[in-house]
Amino acid sequence: MNEQLTGQKSIYIQIGEMMETDILRGILLEEEQVPSTNELARLYTINPATAAKGVGLLVDEGILYKRRGIGMFVSPGAREKILAKRRAAFAENHLAPLLAEARSLGISKEELIDMIGERMK
Amino acid sequence: MSLICENIVKTYSGKEVLQDVSLELQPGKIYGLIGRNGAGKTTLLSILTAQNPATRGSVTLDGAPVWENRRSLEKLCFSRELNANAESGLAAMKAKEYLRIASTYYEGWDKALEERLVQLFELNTKKKMGKMSKGMLSMVTIIVALCSKAPYTFLDEPVAGLDVVAREQFYKLLLEEYTESGRTFVVSTHIIEEAADLLEEVIILHQGKVLLSGETQSFVDSACHVSGKAEEVDAAVAGLEVRHVETMGRSKGVTVFLEPGQKIDESRDVSVQPVSLQRAFVALCGEEEHK
Repeated sequence: MNEQLTGQKSIYIQIGEMMETDILRGILLEEEQVPSTNELARLYTINPATAAKGVGLLVDEGILYKRRGIGMFVSPGAREKILAKRRAAFAENHLAPLLAEARSLGISKEELIDMIGERMK
Repeated sequence: MSLICENIVKTYSGKEVLQDVSLELQPGKIYGLIGRNGAGKTTLLSILTAQNPATRGSVTLDGAPVWENRRSLEKLCFSRELNANAESGLAAMKAKEYLRIASTYYEGWDKALEERLVQLFELNTKKKMGKMSKGMLSMVTIIVALCSKAPYTFLDEPVAGLDVVAREQFYKLLLEEYTESGRTFVVSTHIIEEAADLLEEVIILHQGKVLLSGETQSFVDSACHVSGKAEEVDAAVAGLEVRHVETMGRSKGVTVFLEPGQKIDESRDVSVQPVSLQRAFVALCGEEEHK
């Protein structure tokens, strides 16, 4: 949870994404407690309501779950869920801008495929 | 229950500096009060805390008028921006003395916190306030606000003159106090960008009127910056509320405020970017000159 916030997206979305990235990287483990909204608020100097909204997104998706009176925990299977979600969004989030740029530079489909093949060797 | 002001009007020598201001401040939130110089921020804060009578209108805390009401006043702290000039009578007073007087106003004054903050800010409280820099005076107002423990605390330009490290310290302290106590804070500031993420709600005061009062996030989300070739931009934002138009040659950039349900026509060849609270504020309040 130590990435920096940027002005590119709503803060609560970034908080959610950072937690997901930490789960993917094994910084936060399944069945482990995650930082509280107050801790997040202090770390990032953001309003606790904003932090809570970010955490809430992940609860809605079943990535985190609440243990009454204790706090939020990473759900079993959270890692798989995040992977599936990010893979599903990959084309939209990463390919679409890449193709738009390729188009405006006049890079053909074949050239692009060649480039990718070269990079992925 | 909350602090409510209704239809506040304030006139100074025939000029209305506040016009029909109505607000509800709910407990347990951090509000930002933003507005240009002369918008009426300090006047509003002093009326909300019964330090200044309104010409018309009412201010009530949990249903009871605050004016000359001791029980309400104990719950309100307005830590004014200090001006230690000859007229204010503060110049000869030591900061220590000022803090001691302030502490007698508030039952819940936190002496331990006062000591901690004096140390953190490395503030020499034996110094006369007339000899203090703007930043040091701001530290004194911050200490008063945080240590008062008042359920409704108003800070007027608390970071004016503070260096960047002290400002960061203040934001952290405010959050720490807020998360521990759940007090309500109303902070007026010109350094909007730094405070934006702290503010759950934002109140924009412009020429004595409330231009906007609501969740900071929804206000920021309602605005975006659209740029590209002028014709494409015009087509993409047709029928929308457009502010802050800038052009350079064939290129054009505008800030758009979207009503719920409205959308930018993204089939056009334009860039759509989010804007910060500061940019949105400037787009909303900085226009007159160009018109």
